[in-house]
Amino acid sequence: MRNIFILIATLLTFSACSNNYQPDPRVKIIGHCSNSAMLVSDVNAMMRDDGFMQTQITGENLTSSYFKVEYKIVWFDENNFKIDSILSNWAEIPAYAEQPFYINVTAPSNKAKTFRLYLKKEGNLICEQQSN
Amino acid sequence: MRTTIKLALGSTLAIALLTGCGSAKTRNIDIHNDKESSAVMGLDYRDFQGAAQSMVQSLINSGAVNKPGGGRYVLVVSRVINDTMQHIDTDQLVKKMRVALLRSGKVVVTTAVGVGGAEDKMSMQTRTALRGNAEFNQRTVAAKGQMIAPDLSLSGKIIQRNITVDSSTQQVEYYFQMSLTDINTGLAFWEDEKVIGKRGSNDSVAW
Repeated sequence: MRNIFILIATLLTFSACSNNYQPDPRVKIIGHCSNSAMLVSDVNAMMRDDGFMQTQITGENLTSSYFKVEYKIVWFDENNFKIDSILSNWAEIPAYAEQPFYINVTAPSNKAKTFRLYLKKEGNLICEQQSN
Repeated sequence: MRTTIKLALGSTLAIALLTGCGSAKTRNIDIHNDKESSAVMGLDYRDFQGAAQSMVQSLINSGAVNKPGGGRYVLVVSRVINDTMQHIDTDQLVKKMRVALLRSGKVVVTTAVGVGGAEDKMSMQTRTALRGNAEFNQRTVAAKGQMIAPDLSLSGKIIQRNITVDSSTQQVEYYFQMSLTDINTGLAFWEDEKVIGKRGSNDSVAW
């Protein structure tokens, strides 16, 4: 009986501690500190009627302070070749304390079939490992 | 001997000071990762890049350049007014937008029409000068009625506002405003504004 209780308690503990979020391979958070400061909780992508791919990334500022999130989306065509565009430059959005943030972007061309998103916390010089 | 040493030391110090006080060494900017001197009060290339990126993203997001039934819209660049204290060639903004829109596959830009005349006068000049000219094979001269009139017009304005914050600080606000007008109806299909604000010393100049 005692063993059953221990087993149930263990199962409950592990299920509570487990994180259901599976990191999306299309998203990469750059820098150790950025990883602890934000979380990407959802990546939504669809093909619009006009042939342009649109994506919405939902993230969350896990800290109790405001910061800016810098992001960059690189688009690829059906052959996995990178599509050069001004829309692949670093851009920034506000991330308010303990609140979600949303990145809503459309591909620069209807040739885009997939993408890779890079995120980092602005001005995180100590933890920043790479900038592009 | 002591005087000689003093003179030598003095000269070395003077040279070192002069070299140290000399102007900064000229070097190329890494425009892909340029974090230096981001606080210039005037507009620099990063501001134009950011504004163009934001405008093009907004325009593509809106679906305004999605032609019903497929195909591409013909765009003409109208007047983009520089209402700032700086000498700006507005092509710094417009050219980036044009390139991105052309690459989107949804828009093609005409250079045969413009506010102050054709942007590229050659397309008209080759017609007037070469048509009927016996030196040229007339089958290779552009025929009448071949030019395509624009469907859309892109116009805009860049505005600057200077605000005194206190005796030593000033704030400069730049407003990038753009509109996309359907020439047939005169209706604006898309409009957007991007604001860039800078706060700094009164000693800095913003022109």
